[in-house]
Order: sequence, then structure tokens, then C-alpha cells
Amino acid sequence: MFQFLVDVLMRACDLMLVAIGMSAVYSLMKFPNIALVQYAATGGVLAIVLQKTGMPVVIAIAFAVLLTGLLAVILNEFLFNRMLKIGSSTAMIGSLAVSMIFSAGFLVTVGPSPSRFAMPLSRPVRILDARITEPQLLSFAIVAAAIGMFALLYFRTDLGRCMRATSTNEVLADATGINTARMKTIIVLISGVMAALGGVAIALKGEVDIQMGMDLLLPVFASAILGGLGNPFGAIAGALLISFAETAVTAVNFGPLLGQVVAFLPVAYASAISFLLLVAALLWRPRGLFVSEVKRV
Amino acid sequence: MSDFIVHVTIMSGLYALLALSLNLQAGFGGLMNFGQIGLFACGLYGAAIAFQFDLSAISGFAFAIVAAALLGWAFASVGRNLQADYWGIVTLALAEVIRIIATNEDWLTGGAQGIGGIRPFYFDLDSQTRQIAILFTVLALVLAAALLCRHLIGGRYGLSIKIMREEPQLAASLGYNTITLKRQLMAVSSVLAAISGFLFAHYISFAGPEQIDSSETFLIWAMIVVGGLGNNIGAIVGAFLLQFAFAFIPFVKDWIGLPTEYVAAGRLFLTGGGLIIFILWRQSGIVPERVGGGRYV
Repeated sequence: MFQFLVDVLMRACDLMLVAIGMSAVYSLMKFPNIALVQYAATGGVLAIVLQKTGMPVVIAIAFAVLLTGLLAVILNEFLFNRMLKIGSSTAMIGSLAVSMIFSAGFLVTVGPSPSRFAMPLSRPVRILDARITEPQLLSFAIVAAAIGMFALLYFRTDLGRCMRATSTNEVLADATGINTARMKTIIVLISGVMAALGGVAIALKGEVDIQMGMDLLLPVFASAILGGLGNPFGAIAGALLISFAETAVTAVNFGPLLGQVVAFLPVAYASAISFLLLVAALLWRPRGLFVSEVKRV
Repeated sequence: MSDFIVHVTIMSGLYALLALSLNLQAGFGGLMNFGQIGLFACGLYGAAIAFQFDLSAISGFAFAIVAAALLGWAFASVGRNLQADYWGIVTLALAEVIRIIATNEDWLTGGAQGIGGIRPFYFDLDSQTRQIAILFTVLALVLAAALLCRHLIGGRYGLSIKIMREEPQLAASLGYNTITLKRQLMAVSSVLAAISGFLFAHYISFAGPEQIDSSETFLIWAMIVVGGLGNNIGAIVGAFLLQFAFAFIPFVKDWIGLPTEYVAAGRLFLTGGGLIIFILWRQSGIVPERVGGGRYV
């Protein structure tokens, strides 16, 4: 039972940071940035490549995360801001195009074979009869720390207050003297950093290959949408729900229901079930479970 | 060499049907469908499953059309009160669910190996004449589809979906039922996509899950954006342009002497780069949408 909870939590950790980034960016930029999943892959791959050049792990991760954040800002400045002037749907297709270019870039630079951090192997620890490995604990700690920092920034500082004001009513925020353009740049930087950290957290637990970004796309989107796009902390709940559905479907024995001893769904159906959960949830609440935006008439 | 050109032209024609279908939805109706390949899958597997269970091609065709129209209807119904970007992700998720089912239900779809050996059209002709016959069939169908699209768009129905795209609330206030319009539009355009899938299965003699990957949807999107959103000729131009460009990437690779990974990377660069360039510098595409004119009722 406890193992089940750990599995859910570990899967949620994979999705959470990227989903929070996506929701945060949506709250200010008003378009879902598909390229964010590729920022996650970039963070993971870059950290591994930097470590191979001889840097200590911590410094490699820090560099990779910061570089990805900068990349996010640059792309936003030169591409997404211009596309947004045409429309949010256009910007969404544009971000799809950018993530294709990322895929191509990975193919050419890193190649199709997966890579991993060079780390000493360790025996899994047993906590309440659940097996947890040290890298898993480490990546959990990274995710928890990142969420904590973001929550502090978002709810306890002036900067966070300005961001929330901008996301609620941009025109009013502008009129009160908030530099909304600067707020947008900052939130893009934060989302890039969060996504890259998410990628690093995944890379710590296992391998990273160039498909990672596109594989993350739907589960991350499902989490962010389920939580209500634009509400970064709804995304946490969304990620937990999606990972719960994914893990439960494969861990539950449907045998007794069908009159057999054991009957498990194939693992491949895990994601199918979570997507159907997303569709069902949207039928019931079209703007996600926890909508933070004020809807005006 | 001329065999090769014929093959590429047939493939372009099949993609042109898909592009015309997506153009009806996205270009004229403003529906952000990211699950186009799911509609194609209905046609592809309709043909393959009919073959596997020794049914006639006609019954496979009927099954394909009905399944696609129902799926299109379902897409529109799910999206009846969703925002455009939410709906885009939902359709992407549903198409992915279809792919997962196709990969795992071995008894029905042949699983990951797919269904091979599907009897091609014009079976009794020798292979060269057969290719030419298929070429003319496909080109005739593209022409017929283009005429159908022109007929739909030129009339009252075309005006109503365009007003739904531009001003949904105005359309509703004029007495148009936008949900019905969307459902009709999705059902009609789905049939075009299913015809393309049906022909594809009989032409390639194979149906497998890798043919219905979401990246194909993104490719079709690139075709209509490059060709010109909201223009039927543009959709056809975009499909032929990208297919022919793709066909010559391997030759360019050999000519420069690059490794094989560069073919896949080149396709991604071309699709993503084409999308970005056209979004930023020529938003209306190669053949822009014609505003006004035509035979209005």
C-alpha cells in the first residue's frame, strides 16, 4: 500500500514542475506553451552533458537550469511575443514548431541513444516496506524545494503579488504602475527554470533520451489542464490526480470482477486512462477543476 | 526515377486530402483540431480490419466512413463548451488513446506489428500500370474533394462557419446554433480524412500504429499553415510542397554525406522551421484566404 503511494508520488514528481511552469506561463501569457516540455528535456540533457565535461553534479545542474531559463526568455522575446500579437492559437502552433526544432536539434547533437548521470549505485532504502532509491529521494527533494521556493515567491513577496495582479487583470495592473512586460519576462524565466529542474529530477532517477520531451507532453498538459490552466498550484493537484489514475489502473487487480484470478490491464493503458479522465473532467468542469481566473460577463 | 515521382505524388495526394479536411476545420471553422490523425486512423484501420476478417473492401469503406463521422461528431460534442486551446489538447489526447488501443488490441488491429498484405487496388493490373491507375484515382479524388470544399465554403454554410470562426457570439445571436455547425463540420471533414486513410491502407498494403502517431497531425498542420489557412488550393499546395521536400531530403543527405539520423532531423527542421517562418513573416501562407467574393446566397 505504502509502495503504491510512493509510486504515485514519484510519477507526480516527474510531471509537477513542468505542469506548474506551464500553468504559470499561461496565467500571464495566455497561451499554452508546448515547447516547455522540450525545456525539461533540455535541462536534463544539458546537465548530463555538462557533467561529462568534468563539472561536479551540482554545478552542472545549476548551469543547465539557468541556461534553459535564459533560452526560454530569448525564445519568448524573439518568437512567442511576436506570435502572440497574431493570436494565442497561432502562438500555440508556433510553440509546437519550436518543439519540433528542439527534437531535431537533439537528434543532431545528442543522438538517439539514451544517457544518464554518472552516479554511484546505491542500495534502495526501505521505508515502511516501500523501496525507495537514493536518487528518487534526491529528485523528490529537488521537486519539493522548487515548489516551496515558488510558493514563497508567489504568495509572500511583492514580485509575486505583482505577478498575480498581472494575471488577474493586466490592464489594471499596468495602470497601477506594474511593469507588466517585465513580469512576463520573469514568469517566462521562472517557467523555464522550473521545467529544466523537472527534467533534471527525471534524469536523476533514470535515463534521458531525446523522446522525453514529447513523451511528457500529454501527461503534463493533462495535469495542467485538470488543475485549471493559469492556476500554478492547481497543477500540483492535477499532477497528483493523473499519476494516481495511471498507477491505480495498472496496480488494481480486475480479476474478481471478471471471474478470473488475476486480470491486470496492460501497462500501456495507464496513459490512455489518464487522458480519458482528463476528457471526463473537462466535460464536467470545462475550465479545469480549480479555476483561478475571474470570469467576467 | 519516374516510379519514385509517381509514388511521391500519390503520397502528396493522400496528404492533400487530409490537409483539405483539416483546412475545413481549422482554416474556415477555426477549430484547433490536434487529433486529425485519429480520423485518418478510422479509415486506415477500417480498411485493415475488413481485410483481416475477410470482409469486402466496400464494407471496410462503409465502416471507415461511419466510424470517422461518429468520431468527428464526438470530437465536436466534447468540445461544445471548451476553449480553443483546451479543445486542442483534448483532441490530441483522444487521438493518442486511439493509437494506444491500436497498439495493444492484438486480436483486432494486429498490435504493434500492424496488419500487412492488404490487397491493393487494381490487383489484376501489372505493378507499373497499377501505380498509374492509383495515381489518377487519387488525383481525381483530390480534385473532387477540393470541389466539394469549394461548394461547401462558397454557399450559406461556408458563411455561417466563417462567422462562427470570427465572431461566435454574433453567429449565435443571428440564430446559428454553433454546436450543430461544429458537429456538422467535423463529421463532413472527418469523412475526407477517413477516405485518405482507407486509400493509404490499400496503397501501402499495411496499417500499423506508427502511421497514426501525433507527429503526423503536426505535419498536416504545417502543410495548411504553409499553404495558407482558409484556402483550399493552399492546403493542396502545402501538402505537395512538404511531401516533395521530404522526399528529396535523403538525396541531399547522400549528396552532403551526412549520417542517417539527419533525415529524421531534416524533416523536423523543415516542418518546424517552415511553420515558424510562415507564422512570423507570411501569416497568410503561400495562397492567402480570399475574403468576400464567391457565390453568396
